[in-house]
Order: sequence, then structure tokens, then C-alpha cells
Amino acid sequence: MNEWVEKLALCVERGKVNRDAPWPPDMKGQDGADELAAAALQSGCSPDEVLQGCILGMDRIGKKFSENKAFVPELLMSAKAMTAAMNHLKPYFQSGEVKRKGTFVIGTVAGDLHDIGKNLVAMVAEGGGFEVIDLGTDVSAEKFLKAVDEHPGCVVGISALLTTTMVNMEKVIRTIKEKHPETPIIIGGAPVTQAFADKIGADGYSPDPQGAVEFLNKKVA
Amino acid sequence: MNSFERFRNRLKGLPVDRVPNFDIFMQFAAHFIHAQLRDYYLNYRVLVDANLAVIEAFAIDIAQAISDPYREAHDLGLKVEFPQDALPLATEPLLKDPSDLNKLKLARPEDGRRMNDRLEAIRLFRERVGGQVPIMGWVEGALAEAADLRGVSTLMMDIFERPDFVADLLEFCCEQEVLFAKAQMEAGADIIGLGDAVASQISAEWYQQYALPYEQRIFDAVHKAGGTARLHICGNTTHLLEGMAASGADIVDLDWMVDFRHAAEIYEPNGPALCGNFDPVAVMLQGTPQQVEEAVRRCIADGGPRCFSAAGCEIPDGTPHENLHTQMRALAL
Repeated sequence: MNEWVEKLALCVERGKVNRDAPWPPDMKGQDGADELAAAALQSGCSPDEVLQGCILGMDRIGKKFSENKAFVPELLMSAKAMTAAMNHLKPYFQSGEVKRKGTFVIGTVAGDLHDIGKNLVAMVAEGGGFEVIDLGTDVSAEKFLKAVDEHPGCVVGISALLTTTMVNMEKVIRTIKEKHPETPIIIGGAPVTQAFADKIGADGYSPDPQGAVEFLNKKVA
Repeated sequence: MNSFERFRNRLKGLPVDRVPNFDIFMQFAAHFIHAQLRDYYLNYRVLVDANLAVIEAFAIDIAQAISDPYREAHDLGLKVEFPQDALPLATEPLLKDPSDLNKLKLARPEDGRRMNDRLEAIRLFRERVGGQVPIMGWVEGALAEAADLRGVSTLMMDIFERPDFVADLLEFCCEQEVLFAKAQMEAGADIIGLGDAVASQISAEWYQQYALPYEQRIFDAVHKAGGTARLHICGNTTHLLEGMAASGADIVDLDWMVDFRHAAEIYEPNGPALCGNFDPVAVMLQGTPQQVEEAVRRCIADGGPRCFSAAGCEIPDGTPHENLHTQMRALAL
């Protein structure tokens, strides 16, 4: 593996944002994802390789999170490091030189303002190589449908933290599937189960971000 | 045997006529008496009426003044909206900048609109069922309160990037919660529940540093005032079980993801009593009465001789009454 890819992956996995960042203490004073991404591109690495470093790092931390070996703060820090590296790739995404695996439209369902779970999935999906369209919280079925209209071929993710709002997911699925029956939809959130997902016609369910990315990878394969 | 005697005996491992039911009710209770949630959150009389109705209907063994996480934060200045029949909304953190902490002053619970409303609820419970049903007040853990004031994600990043600020914030929150816990004890609470939900999202090492010491201080104040301490951390706390036992809690709630038998092996015979832990959604809200009966009985069998029965978290709004009646029947020994 390219040395830059591995170095960058390590920074993303450990949440080392830049040289000045105090975290993690054992990497104090070392270059972070920000400097490494810039240096990698300057030294002739392809943007795809830089993206690969981000994907690898987020994949590792996402798996640790699934296995209860890493927790929300570590995941947030990795996402921050990933974003620092990805900022250097923006021009390449815009020019089309680097392509995303696909588009993921995500939002918290109508009536629900909780965003942590949704944000974590969005971050890990972005780190997994997907363009993420984050619709925010309290998202109506109509707003989800509009986003699917605007992003043909996308995958949709719906989040809910509350038992009182998870029931609103069914309407979103029905609304999208009526017009775009081929659009894959995955749901998640603390009260959501596979049985509930089956009952309301979702195509997938995941209890954690990594499972959502695996679902995305299958759907664009 | 009344609910108070049942609670006291069970905690000591003495005989009881049935396992105490410590289910947590909030939205369900409000709607059970056809009240709107705004009134439940803002008017202690509605909260008390709703909980007494639920106690009566489903043989619940605890009168609880828990409602939402924002009582302390609201009195400290957090802007909270109360829609007519929905959960309270807090969209802007109070501490947008770390320097905002310097402007915060501890709020006297008696002077606060919403903290005082909870004190009134406890006084009214005392008047109506004191000595017959244990009365539970509620506080946020210091970490949970810090998250209410700063925002969960921001606070998590602060721990990495501004540890000194986090230490100051947790100190402030802890002092506020100790004040509130003491005031609720003086108002007549028998039990103080402490909610520290965000703690399930951090590692055991961080729990030891950022949650446990403050839980210990709050529970120490509860014990000095003669109260019983109940720790409630929603979510998967398997990795925190040893730490939670060190909090000083007399009762530890466990959510459904935690192996109740494994926890009982760690906690019995000298640790905290366990409370839980069937799935509130898959079992209570969506399950059949038969599934409820099986789950309730399995928890009692797994939880040890001092365990209390409850769903892993709040009984969801819309739970079929038959499922709560089934839990009631299943608890008879």
C-alpha cells in the first residue's frame, strides 16, 4: 500500500486533525490529516489515493465503533480529521477527477430533532466515499422526495430516536417508493429494529454507522 | 404490603409479596389522563395526577417526578419551547462559546420556574401518597447537564480540545445538581434518580474521568439527606458496569441491550440492586402479552434477589394497556 495512504488512514483513524491538534497525545507535534493530505497531493499522490486513505481510516474506526472498541467522541474526532483531509479534495470532486461511489440522502424523520445518530452515519458514509446530502432534522416526506427527485440513483437513510417519531418513517418510505420504487431506503435509530424495518417496507436496517455503509456499498456495487 | 414497604424490603433482599414495578412513565402518563404534554411539563398538578393514575391502573410502585431533561438548563437560561402536545425543544445551546460559562450563575431550585415546579410535584406526591409509595425526584448527571447546555457533539469535542473548560463546566453542573437533589430531598423525595444518558456513548476510561466522580458527589449528597440513589443511563452500558457500581447508586437501571444476568453476577450480593431491563419498544410497545410475560419473568429470574422490574427505558407512548397489565400479573411471585 502507498505509504501516504497508510499515514493518512492512521491520522483519520486516530483523529489527528492537524499538527497543532492536542489529540491524540502520543501524536503531539506530528503532522495531521490536514498536512498529510496536502503533502501527499504535492508529492504526486493521486486524489483517489488520498480519498482511499480517508476511506480506510473511517472504515477502521467505524468497525471499532461497531465492536464497542471506540465510542462517539472518537468517531467524531476521526470525522473531523477526515474532513480536514477531504477539504483538499474539493477541487477534484468539482472537476470530476475524483468520483464518489454514489449519493446518500439522509435526514431525521419529521417531528424528531435528534441529530447525533444521523450525523455519525453521515460522517462515516462520507468517509466511506459517498456524497452525502444531509437534509437535517425534522424532515418531511415531501422534502425527502424532493431530494430523491434531485439526486437520481441515490440511496436514502432515515433516522429517528423516538418511539413517537419512528412511526413517521413509514410515510416517508411510502412517499418515496410510490414515485421511485427502485430507491433503496435504510433506516436506523435507537428504537428501530429489523422487525420494524421489515414491517414498514424499508430495504435495510443498521444499528450502527458501519452497517449503513456496508448497505450503501452493496447497493452501488 | 404497600409499595413503600415493598421497595424497602426488596432493596435489602427481604421478602416481598411481588417484585416492585419501577417502570418509568412520562409521555404515556400524560396521555393516559388525556393531558397535553405541554401541561405535563409545566404544571406539576398534571404530572402528579397522571402518575397517580398510572400507579393505580397498573400497580406501579413508584411516584416519579421525572419529565424531561431541561428543568435545570431552562432555569439556567436555556431557551426551551413547549409545543402543545410534543416534546420540549431546545434548538440553540446556552453555551455557544466556552467563555459563556463565566456568565452562568448557579440557580436556586426554589427560585427556578421549572426546578421549583418539580419541588411542588414532590410536595404534592408527599401529601397524597407519602409513606405508601416511594417518591422519586430526578436530576441530570453533571455530564448530561453539560451536554444539555453545550450540545452533545460540541461537548465531546471539547473534551479533546478544551479539557480545562470541560472540568470547569462539569464542576458547575455538579454543584447545580447537588443543589437540586438536596432541594428535592427537603421537599419529600425518598429516591433521587440521576439520568446520565450521554455516558453510554463514551469509553469506560472517560466515564471514570468525566461522569463517575460527579455521580458520586451527587449521590453522596442524596445519601447524606437520607435518600436512595438510582442511576439511569440509557443505552448499552455493558462496558460501564463496574464503574456504575462505584457511583454509590443503590439501584442501577439497565437498558435492554445489557445482559441482565451478567450484570447480576457482577453486582450480587453486595453491589447496587438492578432495575430492568426488557426492551421498551420491541417488547412493551410492539410485543404480544405473551412476549411481555416471558420477558418480565426472564428479567426477574436473571436479575437476582434484589432486582426491580422495569423496561430498559421510558414506557413508550402508545403502549397497549394489556401489556402493562400483563407485566403487573407477571410480577406476582
